[in-house]
Amino acid sequence: MSEPIVALDGVWRVYDMGRLQVVALRDIDLRVAPGEFVAVVGPSGSGKSTLMHIVGCLDRPTSGEYRLASTPVGTLDDDGLARFRSRTIGFVFQSYNLLARTTALDNVAAPLLYQGVSRRERLARARASLERLGLGDRLDHTPAELSGGQQQRVAIARALVTDPALILADEPTGNLASDQGAEVLALFKELHQAGRTIVLITHDHDVAAAADRQVHLRDGGIVDRPLAA
Amino acid sequence: MSVVELVRLALSRIGSSRLRAALTMLGVIIGVASVVALVAVGQGATSGITARLEGLGTNLLTVTPGSSTEGFTRRAAGSATTLTVDDAKAISALDGIAAVEPEISTQQLVQAGTLNTTTNIVGTTADFMPVRAYTIWQGSFLTDASVNAGLRVAVLGSTTADDLGLDASSIGSQISIGGLPFQVAGILQAKGSAGPFSQDDQVLIPLATAQHYFVQGESVRSIGVSVADADQMDLAKAEIQSALEQRHGIAADGTDDFTIQDQAQLLSTVSAVTTTLTILLAGIASISLVVGGIGIMNIMLVSVRERTREIGIRKAIGARGRDVMAQFLIEALTLSLLGGLVGIVVGVAVSALIGALAGWGFVFNPITPFVAIVFSLAVGVIFGVWPARQAARLDPIVALRYE
Ligand SMILES: Nc1ncnc2c1ncn2[C@@H]1O[C@H](COP(=O)(O)OP(=O)(O)O)[C@@H](O)[C@H]1O
Ligand SMILES: [Mg+2]
Repeated sequence: MSEPIVALDGVWRVYDMGRLQVVALRDIDLRVAPGEFVAVVGPSGSGKSTLMHIVGCLDRPTSGEYRLASTPVGTLDDDGLARFRSRTIGFVFQSYNLLARTTALDNVAAPLLYQGVSRRERLARARASLERLGLGDRLDHTPAELSGGQQQRVAIARALVTDPALILADEPTGNLASDQGAEVLALFKELHQAGRTIVLITHDHDVAAAADRQVHLRDGGIVDRPLAA
Repeated sequence: MSVVELVRLALSRIGSSRLRAALTMLGVIIGVASVVALVAVGQGATSGITARLEGLGTNLLTVTPGSSTEGFTRRAAGSATTLTVDDAKAISALDGIAAVEPEISTQQLVQAGTLNTTTNIVGTTADFMPVRAYTIWQGSFLTDASVNAGLRVAVLGSTTADDLGLDASSIGSQISIGGLPFQVAGILQAKGSAGPFSQDDQVLIPLATAQHYFVQGESVRSIGVSVADADQMDLAKAEIQSALEQRHGIAADGTDDFTIQDQAQLLSTVSAVTTTLTILLAGIASISLVVGGIGIMNIMLVSVRERTREIGIRKAIGARGRDVMAQFLIEALTLSLLGGLVGIVVGVAVSALIGALAGWGFVFNPITPFVAIVFSLAVGVIFGVWPARQAARLDPIVALRYE
């Protein structure tokens, strides 16, 4: 059996609010193998975003161990973490999070800027990534000139441009009309078939059904079965 | 990330909000422009004074009638009539005096052919030229013979000659001064100091001629004295003072009815004052540079707040704190540097304009723009670091949630 990409062991995340302590994640054990498509499902407030922040190295566990692509993340400093993050993870957010007033091409090329890739190569790779997602004719459009579905596809192109080991998506269809949401979901399935490792976070059971495996969160802990709706 | 990439980012950002960028840079533009212009104007004024200083004549003392207790402030030039031609003769008899020239003067209409001008007519002696450090350009200067004989001959300053359309071929021709015919004996070499200080706009005629036709009596407007040895200026001044006090019957502790000026010393004092003033004004102007820097800091802080989400996105896609810091710092630097460059252009244009109006021409010191650039870069760094650090420290999770 190959090494998992994501390995969480006894991870806690506690927000210290002075007098009050909010436990957002409690004793999480989670493994995601290469090539897997895992959906993390849970109601609002169950700790999904907190989990994604930790898996995405934007945040650190209060306790417990996290290894990403065999690297113990706890040993990296902030700069090391940023660097490791940019090479290992591609993010897709619910609200797209594209740079405003910046063309699709420059948006997709932006992660490569921080990897020190030359401008020529950046633009070539960004163009190829956008073309793969069927946006070859939208290179010079700014986010304001694109539909929600197109913006999310640009965001996916940006997540893919660095060829990351893991795609991390937080409610990627949450802001989309149902037909566009279905398109984006189909895209994730395609990526999975092409061998990508994907962790998709959602509160929508229909969306979660697209994944190989579902992990259910409730009150910050992993539960075996969702409660009946 | 290379500096080139960062500058490209900064320029595209500035390009997308040009009005705001221009308003932000305005403070630095005004600051740099006023420093550049003030320094250039100060140097222009100082070099004008220096030129005049050098053209004044060596070891020159000027004796003028009227009392003066403090330098030139209380002097009423030409109003008193206490100085005479005989005083000049007495001074020339003293030890260590190289040459003495008394002057009387009057304003007269001068005509040559169809052209005319009203200018200063100076009655003097042949020693005028060495004492006042003039050289002749064409013809010859007043001679002892023509002065003693009281001939109607005239030597023209270069500006006056130009005004009257006279040139090398005009030596020996007739002009009219105050309605009387005079022969042009010579034209002086220009001293070059233009504007209100012009020493080239005058007509020199023999002293006796001036006394006979224009200014009756023995009193003179001034006596120029050339001291033989520059180290003996103070001694010569004291000797002249006691000689004149004796002649005028003034006690050693009484109030003199004449004033002796060491003009070179006076002008070097003036020049020192101009330099000090220039530094002072440039100092005041650099305050506006600081204000400009605060303007940049203000806009950058607003910008960090407005672009919180952008910072969060950049961090999520791999920017380190220092990448974000560098981006904002380079943006502040680009703003201040562009402001500095525009400021230099404006400052040079303004100083060229003032130089042209004041008559000392265009004084350009290449050090000034260099210093201005260094200053505006310093402003960019000093006032850009704080907002850039704010940006770099933002937590990406908080930044991404920011609406
Ligand atoms: N920065 C924070 N400070 C304090 N409490 C937080 C913070 N972020 C999240 N929480 C709390 O942690 C819990 C899980 O939140 P979150 O991970 O955002 O849930 P979900 O994404 O599933 O809606 C919630 O109770 C929330 O209030
Ligand atoms: Mg959430």
